[in-house]
Amino acid sequence: MGAYILRRLIQAAFTIFGVMLITFLLFRLVAGDVAAAHLGPKVTEQQKRDWLHKHGYDKPKLINKSLWRCRSGPAPPASGASTAGTTGSCGARPPWSTVLKSTFLDTQFADYLWKTATFQTRSLITNERLIDIIRQRAPYSLAITVPAMALGWAMAMVVATIVAYYRASLIDYVGVFLAVLGMCIPYLAFIMAGQYLVFQLRPSMAFGLSNPFNIFVPVTIAVIAGLGGQVRFYRTVILDEANRDYVRTALAKGLPLPAVMFKHILRNCMLPILTQLILAIPFLILGSLLLESFFGIPGLGDQLLSAITNRDEPIVSGETYLTALIYTLGVLLTDISYAIFDPRVRLT
Amino acid sequence: MTPTAADAPDASRPEAPGRSLWSDAFRRLSRDRAAVACFAVICLYVFVAVYAQFRYADFHTSQDYERRNQPPSRAHWLGTDVFGRDVLAKTLLGAKVSMTVGFMANAIAVPLGLVLGSMAGFFGRRVDDLIVWVYTTLASVPSIILLIALKYAFQGLVLFRDTWAEIDLSGIHGLYIALAVTSWIGTCRLTRAETLKLKSMDYVTAARASGQGSLRILLRHIIPNLFHLAIINFTLGFVGAITAEVILSFLGLGVSVGTPSWGTMINAARMDLVVGRWWEFASAVGAMFFIVLSLNIFGDRLRDALDPRLRVG
Repeated sequence: MGAYILRRLIQAAFTIFGVMLITFLLFRLVAGDVAAAHLGPKVTEQQKRDWLHKHGYDKPKLINKSLWRCRSGPAPPASGASTAGTTGSCGARPPWSTVLKSTFLDTQFADYLWKTATFQTRSLITNERLIDIIRQRAPYSLAITVPAMALGWAMAMVVATIVAYYRASLIDYVGVFLAVLGMCIPYLAFIMAGQYLVFQLRPSMAFGLSNPFNIFVPVTIAVIAGLGGQVRFYRTVILDEANRDYVRTALAKGLPLPAVMFKHILRNCMLPILTQLILAIPFLILGSLLLESFFGIPGLGDQLLSAITNRDEPIVSGETYLTALIYTLGVLLTDISYAIFDPRVRLT
Repeated sequence: MTPTAADAPDASRPEAPGRSLWSDAFRRLSRDRAAVACFAVICLYVFVAVYAQFRYADFHTSQDYERRNQPPSRAHWLGTDVFGRDVLAKTLLGAKVSMTVGFMANAIAVPLGLVLGSMAGFFGRRVDDLIVWVYTTLASVPSIILLIALKYAFQGLVLFRDTWAEIDLSGIHGLYIALAVTSWIGTCRLTRAETLKLKSMDYVTAARASGQGSLRILLRHIIPNLFHLAIINFTLGFVGAITAEVILSFLGLGVSVGTPSWGTMINAARMDLVVGRWWEFASAVGAMFFIVLSLNIFGDRLRDALDPRLRVG
C-alpha cells in the first residue's frame, strides 16, 4: 500500500510539473508582447526595458548562456555587462558549478517554477502577491462551491434513488426525461433566467453580498444546473448494481426491497459516485467562474475573468496552476481511497 | 445491405456470413425512431448553417436604427437586436459558427486522439508513458480553464503571417485549436484502453506470427477496429465543442467581435432581460438547446448501436 501511494504521489508530481511547463510555454512563449499590452504603444525603449527588468521578463527563458563565454572565451570581454539579463561581468573565470547554476537557475523558467509553486507571483497591475489574493478571495469561492457540491450531491442521490427504486415506471421515465432536458439547457441560461426570476421577486438578492444570505441564490442555481447530469449518472450506477446476483439472492431470501436498496445497493455504489464527485470539480469551477461574475461575488473566478481582461499574466497562470493542483490532489485522494476501501482494486 | 456497403472501413475484411458491425448498427439505428428524429434535427442544423450564410450575406450591413430592440412581429419573427438587425438571421448565422466549430474541433481532435491512443496502447513502454503523461497533464487542468488559458495566449497571435496559409489564432481558428487540444484526451483514453485489449487477441498474434510488421498490424488490424469509438466520440464531442464555444464567446474569448454566434447573443442579452427584452436570449438558448439535445440522444443511441458494452442508462 505504501509503495502504491508513493508511486501515485510521484506521478502527481510529474503531472503538476507538466502543468507548470504547459502554462509557462503558453504564457511566456506563445503569448505576445506583455510589455506592449501594459505600457501602451507610446513608450521609449528604456521604459520598456525597465518594466521588463522589474517583472523579471528580461532574463533568458529556458537556458541562460551569459556565463558560458566567460568560461570558454580567451579573455573576458569588459563590455559584456551592458547586455540585458546578465548577472554581471565576469572578472575571473567562474567555477563550473556557478556556470551550471546560472545556466538553469537564472532563467525565467526557474523563477516561474519557484514562484508558481509557492504562489509568490505578483499581479502586474496591483503588485499583490497571489497568496494574499487567494487568502482574501478563496472564502467567497468556497462559499459557493462547497455548499453547491454537498447540496447537489445530496439532492442528486435522493432523486436518483427514487427514480431507480421505481425503475421502468412513470416516475422513472419522467425523471430521466427531466434529467436529460436539464443536461441540455446551457449553464448560462440557468444563471440568467435564475437571476431574472430572483430580480423579479426580491431585487436586493439578485446582486452583490449586501446580505450574506444572498450566497444561496448562486448556490441554488449551481445545484439545479448540475442536477440533470448527476441524477442520470447515479441512476445508471445504482441500476448496474441492482442487476447483480447478490441483490437477486437477497431479494430471493425474502429481504424487503428498501433494506436491499439502502443496505446493499447504495453502499456498493459509493465508490463510483465518489469518483464522479471528484470529476465534477471542473464543472464547479466553471460554475463559480460564471456565477461570481453574474452575482458580483468577489471570489477567485471573478478575479480570473478580470485578470484575463487586464492581461494580468501572473494571475491567470497562477490560478490555472491552482485549479490543476486541486484537481490532481482530488484524483489522487480518490485513487488512494479506492485502494483502501475497495478490495476488488488490485494495486498494479 | 447495399446501402451501408460503402460505410465499411475497408473492403478487404473477410466476408462473414452474418452482417457486419456497420450494417447491423445502421439497421438498429434506422429502426430507432428517436435516433432518426434526432439525426433529422442535426441534418436540419447543418443545412441551416450552409443556407444562412448565403441567405443573410448582407447581415453585417443590415443595421436599421429605426427598428431597434423590437419585439417579435410578422416582419421580424424573433424581433430585432440593439442595432435593429433581425434576430432570426442572427440565430441562424450562429448555427453556422457552432456547427463549424463543432466539426473542425473534432476533425482535429478525434484523429489525433485515435492515432496517439492506438500508438500508446500498441507500442507501450516509453511511448505509452509519454502520451499518458501529456494527456494526464492536460486533463488535470479543468477544461474551461485550459480553454481560457489557450485563448488568452492566442490573443494577437498570427501563424504564418503574410503567407497563403495565414491563420489568425485570436479568432475562430484559435477556437478550433484550443477545443481540439482539450478534447482529444477522451478519444485517446478510450482508444488506448481498447488497443490494449485488441493487442492481446488471437488475430493480432496470428498476424504477428505470419510476419507482419508493427505498423502494418496497427494500420490494418487495430485502427479499423477503433473506428466505432472515433465515430461515437465525434458525435459526443460535438456537444462539448458547441457548449464551450458559447461560453467562450460569452466571455469574449471565442469568435472575433461582431461575428454572430449564440455566445455573443447571450452576452448581448445580459442586460436586456431585466428590461424585458427576452427574444434574443430565448432564440440563442432555444437554438442551442435543440441541437445539444439531439446530439446527446443521437450520440447515446449511436453508442448503444455500435458498442453495446458502453451502454449508459
